[in-house]
Amino acid sequence: MASQPSLQSDTILLTVGTKRGLFFLTSPDRQTWQFQGPFFQGSRVFNAALDQRAGKRRIFAAVNGDFFGSFVHYSDDFGETWQDPARGVQFPEGGERKLENIWVVEPGRADEPESVYVGVAPASLWESHDGGETWQMNEALESHPTRDRWNPGAGGLCLHTIVPDYANPQRMWIGISSVGCMRSDDGGKSWVFANKNTRAGFQPDIYPEYGQCIHRFVQHPTDPNVLYQQNHCGIYKSTNAGDDWTDIQSNLPSEFGFPIALDSAHPDTVFTIVEGMARQNITEQFTVYRTTNSGETWDSLTNGLPSGPAVGLGVLRHGMCADALDPVGVYVGTNTGQLFATADRGDSWRLIADFLPSIYSVRATIIA
Amino acid sequence: MDVSKVRAEVTVLLPHALRKRTGNRGAVAVAGDSVAEVVTALDDAYPGMRFHLCYETGELRPYVNIFVDGENVRYLQGLQTPVAPGARLHVIESVAGG
Repeated sequence: MASQPSLQSDTILLTVGTKRGLFFLTSPDRQTWQFQGPFFQGSRVFNAALDQRAGKRRIFAAVNGDFFGSFVHYSDDFGETWQDPARGVQFPEGGERKLENIWVVEPGRADEPESVYVGVAPASLWESHDGGETWQMNEALESHPTRDRWNPGAGGLCLHTIVPDYANPQRMWIGISSVGCMRSDDGGKSWVFANKNTRAGFQPDIYPEYGQCIHRFVQHPTDPNVLYQQNHCGIYKSTNAGDDWTDIQSNLPSEFGFPIALDSAHPDTVFTIVEGMARQNITEQFTVYRTTNSGETWDSLTNGLPSGPAVGLGVLRHGMCADALDPVGVYVGTNTGQLFATADRGDSWRLIADFLPSIYSVRATIIA
Repeated sequence: MDVSKVRAEVTVLLPHALRKRTGNRGAVAVAGDSVAEVVTALDDAYPGMRFHLCYETGELRPYVNIFVDGENVRYLQGLQTPVAPGARLHVIESVAGG
């Protein structure tokens, strides 16, 4: 593995996927930031993740080319060189499916350091159990009995969120746009819907078994049965692993938004961004919302965030994340290329990068 | 050796984006009597090349153009377009963005 002397332990690494490449931002203190990139310039990088399990430092990137296909590349030297898997994410040759985009790459549980998961459009879950060298499609999802009745949302029929349950190696949740949340309790051999009490306001039956437009969800770091979800039609909490959900929109000014993030040291603290149907801030003030009581009430966070008649910012589903420090840092990338950060739980914000391409994803990792 | 079974050797010119597969070579020689056979030969020689050019379904990617001696195969017989011995195939991505 090549060394990377500029990245000391405890450095914060932000992997920022954009419409035109992947960028790294690093900081020793969350005050000053260094910039690297772009990698894969010209390609749409939907997601990237640093995997530090079992002593490695491998960065996975979901790279979607405009011309020559989509790939999960990986780097063991912080982007100096990138490798291709021996067998990539590709549907069977001669079949009906063709890979449209790779949406998310998710390292697996701490005790399965060679397992990595990928979600793609058309909705499909891929697994690697050799650190990303070879990939296999999850057959149970592919042959789900309702599969022929799944319809794409505006972003395509994308599998965009993967949550391997850290407490139960047999359990995993996935999110598929316009299909909803699904859960497996048998290691991916079967999948059930987990959408009870979440709305699909755009359908005649607004509480269907499936067909909800889930946008993003996260798992509570100490209570594995608690999930928080931002949906096209509401923001929700589940206390029973997705068996049912409770609406926690409360005083939020909109039910519609994409991202959601959680303070791992204070997991009743959740951050979200809701938007109007124009998919921008609702008023002239760009606002991040925070609850400190698990969604009973929400605070508007605006200190340091822009406002004015020309401020119309949107944040995509993976465009916001939290780091694992206390006080938590939160990072918000907009689809117009601004990257905002807070190091004090959202009380104050700073613009740490601007003029980036449209930001698709931001992920924060502390270098071990 | 049955000479009639020997496939025509053609030259394929590749864009920069695909040269990582060929050790940075922009022109490679492979054998094939049709564009589809040339794609298969390319993939045999440089694994992964087919996926760059075609979807898993077998169809040519929409922003990938293959020209046989200057003629875009989309206006010929697509991947079934025959190629003559000594033909030059250009792989060129589409102009995109304006």
